[in-house]
Amino acid sequence: MDLIQKLTISALLALTIVTAGMLIQNHIAVLNSPEATTDPQIDLQKIYEDKISKNTILYASVVDLLKQKQFSQADSKLQEIEASNPDNPQSLIYRAKLQYGLGESATAIHSYRLAIDSSPDYIDKKTPLFMGDEIMDVISETRSKLLREKKLKPGDTSIDIALEDIYYLQRRIAGGCE
Amino acid sequence: MGNFKTPDIAIIAGASLGLGAVLLSFLGNPVNSGICISCFMENLAGALQLQDDLRMSYLRPELVGFLLGSFFMAKKSRRFLVTGGSSPLIRFFLGFFIIVGCAVFIGCPIKLIQRLACGDLTAVAALFGLLFGVWLGAKYIRAGVVLDREKSMPTINGYIFPTIGVLLLLFIFLRPSFINQGQTGPAAQHAPVLISLAISLVVGALAQRSGLCITGGLRNFFLFRETTLLYGVLTFFISALLLSLLTGQFNLGINGQPASHMGHGWTFLAMTLVGLASVLIDGCPFRQLIKAGQGDVDAGITCFGMLTGAAIVITWLLRSTSAGPSFNGKIAVLTGLIFCFIVILTYRKVAKR
Repeated sequence: MDLIQKLTISALLALTIVTAGMLIQNHIAVLNSPEATTDPQIDLQKIYEDKISKNTILYASVVDLLKQKQFSQADSKLQEIEASNPDNPQSLIYRAKLQYGLGESATAIHSYRLAIDSSPDYIDKKTPLFMGDEIMDVISETRSKLLREKKLKPGDTSIDIALEDIYYLQRRIAGGCE
Repeated sequence: MGNFKTPDIAIIAGASLGLGAVLLSFLGNPVNSGICISCFMENLAGALQLQDDLRMSYLRPELVGFLLGSFFMAKKSRRFLVTGGSSPLIRFFLGFFIIVGCAVFIGCPIKLIQRLACGDLTAVAALFGLLFGVWLGAKYIRAGVVLDREKSMPTINGYIFPTIGVLLLLFIFLRPSFINQGQTGPAAQHAPVLISLAISLVVGALAQRSGLCITGGLRNFFLFRETTLLYGVLTFFISALLLSLLTGQFNLGINGQPASHMGHGWTFLAMTLVGLASVLIDGCPFRQLIKAGQGDVDAGITCFGMLTGAAIVITWLLRSTSAGPSFNGKIAVLTGLIFCFIVILTYRKVAKR
């Protein structure tokens, strides 16, 4: 082993020891930091809890009116909320429920599609917002209705569009890596 | 292992891949996506902050397992041969475009087989596309198209990729702050880490020993009517089918299939691109990862191309959704095919001289 080799190996060892030492020191510091003691899963649960409680208060009157089947009043109230909270996808969920209550199944399905595109949490089993089963019930009922209608009106393209929304929702709810 | 002949090992590797893929889905990986190199690369790109979709950010232990399983098996069986230097940039971009094709279909050739085995009939168009792409690639090979020969390289080059594997393994367990991990969406869907790691180590080792490759099996059949690897692919399908039936994951049909779309024409073209590019670089995405573990530097460069592609398909919105392929994705597939044909033309001229 010549001098150059000896010097290079010494430098390599020194650099390795220093790097490892710095990494260990940093890792210990990170482990002891307040951020490390908080579980991201718990943080996320808290965000969802806040979101749900805010929405419960915000949409309380809409929920009551929908339960009482006072659809016209529910619609007015929902429009008010939509105007003041345009980015809240929960409005689309209640819009879908309202449309379904009025018998407008195809439009309800489209509103569910918009809601899911806006927030995939509604079909994510790992979040408390999950309502895939509820949407699937609406889908099953609407699909058989639309397939019956398609036989009666084979040239009606609006039925095809509604069916496309249904199949899209089915694929999304089925899961996979999307 | 020494008592087994290559066809036996290919069949065992195929079975382990099929059982492993369906089992990983059953244990928590996304539905019909127990093993998917392109999806996992997208997840890895997110974990490394190369793309910013947190729902697609998770350092999948399976990728590390395949790489290290292959490395250990190659070392043990003295098949760790360090080679490289064969058209590295061409391979990088072919790796990139393979992931583009996979993203437009939503899945690599392994996931294609798993989707079929789980009853997803939308994957039939992808199967025809892959078969056509590989057949076309085989025809071009017969016509004299081949990338230049790899050369033996200094041993350290072969250790770089396995070292990256070890580093990623440390990241999985130490969870440094720069590694992103999504808590919702596909990122939150995963089997227990140790089980994923164990299954992928075994599959990686067996795949290295057997040379199992989806496109390689098809290519060998089209070129020489050689069926060793094809039996492995068929065993993969059959074992995945049986386990999906047993575990209740089988759902025959076109509608309501997870992470699928109805753009069958684009699916066909996207998988044609994957098949053709894979033949040109001698292996599907899974095989590239296995080869990178056994000292193939060219395959390592292809893997970097695949990782870059995985980040780009998300940031440039090339990836298809349940609504169908995006405009950007369609253009990217066509660009990929153009790139493949330019490579074919260029390398055929070289071979003629």
